[in-house]
This record gives sequence, C-alpha cells and structure tokens, in this order.
Amino acid sequence: MKILLIEDEPDLRKSIKQYLYQEGYVVESASDFVKASEKAGVYDYDCVLVDITLPKGSGLDIVKQLKESGSKAGIIIISAKNSSGDKIKGLDLGADDYLAKPFDLAELNSRIKALIRRRNFDGNKSIVVNEITILPEQRQVNVNNELVSLTAKEYDLLLFFISNKNRVVSKNTIAEHLWGDDSDQMDSHDFIYVHLRNLRKKLLDRGCTDYVQTIYGIGYNFKVS
Amino acid sequence: MKLISKTLIYYLLISLPLLVIAGLLSYFLIKAELRDGTDETLMSEKVNAQKLIHSLKDSKTIYLSSDSLSNIKWILGKLNSGFIDTLIYDQEENENVGARMLRSYYDFNNNTYQITIVKTTMEEEELLEGILAAFALIIGFLIVSFVIVNWLLSKTLWNPFYKTLSELNKYEIKNHEQHKFTPEKTLEFNQLNVALNKMMEKIYSDYVQQKEFTENASHEMQTPLAVVKANLSLLMQSPHLKEDEMNRLQTIENTIKKLSSLNKALILLSKIENNQFSESETIQVKAVVSKIADNFIDVIHSKNISLDLMLYQDISSKMNPTLAEILITNLLQNAIRHNTENGQITIELKENSLIISNTGNPLTIPEEQLFMRFKKNDASKESLGLGLSIVNSIAKSYGFDINYSYINSSHYFKVVFN
Repeated sequence: MKILLIEDEPDLRKSIKQYLYQEGYVVESASDFVKASEKAGVYDYDCVLVDITLPKGSGLDIVKQLKESGSKAGIIIISAKNSSGDKIKGLDLGADDYLAKPFDLAELNSRIKALIRRRNFDGNKSIVVNEITILPEQRQVNVNNELVSLTAKEYDLLLFFISNKNRVVSKNTIAEHLWGDDSDQMDSHDFIYVHLRNLRKKLLDRGCTDYVQTIYGIGYNFKVS
Repeated sequence: MKLISKTLIYYLLISLPLLVIAGLLSYFLIKAELRDGTDETLMSEKVNAQKLIHSLKDSKTIYLSSDSLSNIKWILGKLNSGFIDTLIYDQEENENVGARMLRSYYDFNNNTYQITIVKTTMEEEELLEGILAAFALIIGFLIVSFVIVNWLLSKTLWNPFYKTLSELNKYEIKNHEQHKFTPEKTLEFNQLNVALNKMMEKIYSDYVQQKEFTENASHEMQTPLAVVKANLSLLMQSPHLKEDEMNRLQTIENTIKKLSSLNKALILLSKIENNQFSESETIQVKAVVSKIADNFIDVIHSKNISLDLMLYQDISSKMNPTLAEILITNLLQNAIRHNTENGQITIELKENSLIISNTGNPLTIPEEQLFMRFKKNDASKESLGLGLSIVNSIAKSYGFDINYSYINSSHYFKVVFN
C-alpha cells in the first residue's frame, strides 16, 4: 500500500508518516504544491492525503490533476479550513473524504482503511482478525462463523478497534469517531464504557478471545498477537 | 426641539427687544418733532398777537380764538412765562384733551399784556397713533413673513440633512455595500456626506479586518493543534508508560480537545456572524430534534436523566441544515449539562415554537448575561461558555425569538420560529 502525504507542516508530516509507517504503509511525502504535483504525476498511489493550503498552490488543484489524469488513488483532504464550502468543492472535484484539523491519527488511519476497502472491489471484501470476520458491505460480524448481532454503535466501535489494532486509542478519539462533532458537546465519555461492555459481552458469548485491553487513564487497546 | 424652532426662538428673543426699543425711540422722536411744530405755530401766533397789541386803542382783553382760551389780557403782575402742557375741557368730545399753552408777557405803552395761546394737541396725538399703528403693523407682518419664509426655506435647505439622517438610521454594518451618502449641491451637506462616507469605509474596513483576524487566528491554531494531537497519539503507543505518565497524557489530551472545541466554536461564531451559512433549505424541525435526541440518548441515560419528547406538531423553517442542527444540539446539550441528579428533560414542539426545559438549580449569573460569550453558570469545568451565544447568534441571524425563564425549578428555553 503506497500513500502520498501532501502536508507543509513538517512536524505534522513527520508524525503522520511515522504512524502510517507503523501500520505497514509505504509513505511518501511532499511539502509544497510543486513537489506534490510532480510526484502525483509520476507515481501511482493507493491513497493521497492532501492539505488544501499549500505553499505555491492549492491542494484542490492536486485533486483536480489526479482526477484528470485518471488516477485510481483514493483521496482524503486534510484541511485546517473546516468550511463546508471547501469540503463540498473538494468532494465535487472527486475527493473521497474530508478530515478537518486537528484530527486524531487513529481517525485518519481508520478513514484510510475504509477508503482502501471501498476501492479494493476486486480484492478481499472481508476483514479477518483471527476468529472475527467482518463483512463491511453488509455491516455484519461473524465470530467462529456465527453471526453476532451488534447495534450500529457497537459495530462502529469494533471496526474502529480493528482498524487501529495493537494501538492505544483514547476515549476522546473513540467518542469523536462514534459521535462526530457532537462529541465536542459531551463532557465525560463514561457512556462509551456501556457500549464497550455490551460489545465485549456479545463477543465473549460467541467464544471470542477478549482482545480489548483497558489502558488505565487513557483508553483501550485492541491487542491481537 | 427642532433646529427651526430654535432659530425662530432665538431670532424672536433678539429681535423683539430691539423692535420694542426701536418703537419707543421713534415714538419719542416723532412726538418731539410734533411738539416742535406745535411750539413754532404758537410762537408765530404770539408774534401776531404782539402786533395786534400795537393796534390796541385801550387796554382790554381780546380773545384770539372762539373758545376764548387764546387771549390777550391787560394785567398788573407777571406769572411765569413759557410753554406749558395742560388739559382743556372739550365740550364737543365731552372730555379733557391734551393741549399746549404758550404764556408770554408783552410791555407796551407802560401797560403789561399777558398773551396766552392755547392749541389742542389732539391731531398730533392721532397722527402719532397712526404712525405707531403702521409701524406695529409692519413689524408684525415682518415677523409673520419671516417665520413662514424661514419654515419654507429650512424645509428645502435642510432636506439633504434629513436624507443623510435617515440613511444613518438605517445603517447596518452587515449591509455596508447598500449604504451610500450621495453628493449634495449644498457645500456643507456635501462635506458632511463625504466625511460620513469616509468614516463608514474606515469603520467597515476595521470591522472586516477584525473579523478576519478572529477567523484567521482560529484557523492558524488548527495546524499546531493537529501537530500536538498527532504527537500525543504516537506517545500513547509507547509500551513503557507508567500510570502517572498515562494520567498526564490523558490530562493533556483532554485539554487539547477542549482547546480545539473552543477554537471550533469561535470559528463557528465568526462564520455565523459573517453570514457564511447562506445556503438554506426547508427544515422539518421534528426530524432534526428526533435525530439529535437519538444521538444524545447514550449521554442522557448515562446521567440518569429521563427524556420526554412531546413533538405534537412539526415546524417547517427555511434555514441552513448545519445551523439548525447546531441550534438544537446546543440547547439539548445545555439541558443535559445543567441538569440535576435523576433529572428530567422535556422537548416540546407546538405553535411554531420549540421549548426545551430541564430540571436544574437557579442561575448564578444574571439572566441577561445568559447568552453572552464566556459567561458560564456555576463555572462548570466542561462548559466553554459559548454554546448559548452560538444559539443566540443563529436565532438572531434568522430573526427567531429566543426566551428564557425559570419556573418550578426548571429552566425553559423557547425558540419561536418566525
């Protein structure tokens, strides 16, 4: 999996690169419009992460360029300008997703995975983690080939855990993934625990290993060896 | 008081005493002039009388006028001679009338004669009255015509001023482009309009700059926040973290989250105030309320709050869908946050209004500060103090009424969709 990261802020570029590298992606990066345009024109990528405000040009023009050259890469816009205008413009140009800064790396990771899954029609449509099999198109989960019926929130939570397996994800990050912008309005995230408890119970009932580790003070880790 | 009335009053205050003085002066001047005339006549009659004395054969009394008041008498002693103002009885008019009398003495052939010449001053007085009446009439006419002319003139002369004034009253900084003070032919009013245009431009550009500053500052903060957040995520992955280190990371993460929420809220506020949510569609309030209530049901249950939805009537409103959601979300969030243990939230839709009420302690801040930025009740830690001011901003931008009341230990927020 090859990813092109177009971001002018060096510290952010470094962090994203490191996080995605740990996920097993090959990540190339560009710091301005000219370099980004060059790379996007020469190489093929599975996914392109592009910031809108770049030195020497606009990230939206990169999206345009990719689409005009018939690139099959999935495109995620990462922007500090959380304006619906930019969002609509980007998506109209053919971007697949839009993520406003500041975002969580776990959230970015899960968006990339979802995007690659959607793009990979010919490939494997299911996600398999040991005894757990997820069929994203049907939003269905099987454990040991037995169907587990999950609520929408429980399903999203499980998919988010699996997208970020073997990583510590904080309660804030989970809340933001499940409730979106509304999570800004929620004071404590104790209610996440209710969903987690139910999910855990349903999985354990089907004879699933308890993968979810509680990391004291921070959040959880879906640990798969 | 109107400027025109004021000018008139000042004019009258100054001109009336002047006119009175002028009137008195002319009265006395004319009177003196008339008296001089009378005296001259008396003097010439006296000379005639003296000539008459020369022709007298013996000394006796001679009457010089029919009423026998003017006469020549032979006398022994002399009284004071000279002009005297006196009154005489007029039989025709049956009243005393003013008269001028000249008494003089003339010695002729060792005899002394007293010459008395009397003339009524009635005609002079009538003349004086006539002149004064004409004078008063002219002044009266002058004043009346001045008032009328002044009134008419100021109507036309001040017209540009009233135009400028009404334009100023209508001025709203959001619709700056629609306001313009047009050039006028009168120099002063033209200067006023030019100055006003200049001032408005300056205010507007300062306003725009200020607005842009808030917006840009918030945007500029997003990237550094993203850097901190990303590094924090990476740091959390470290396998060797001790418990207190994790607690610190959690504190940092919560703070970053709060900071970015604050930033988002500020950007949102400036966007609402800049009318950047212009696209609107017909919103079914009932559906939005149901959706948001659903999204918050986990939080509501985790706090042991019961939620009562009384959506009797659907309301359609033309507004931006994002803002509609934010409006209702913030009100519901407010009701959750400032609730009591085992409390209650009621959402009611009826007669064009949305009423969200919740059990809670009375306000600790004055009611009129409730919708102000960064005014927090009970200084709750989690609250940013921006939620209700965003609600207010949205309501204001659509012309909705928003009311607050506290009845029976419950807070009521009522939005009237006009």
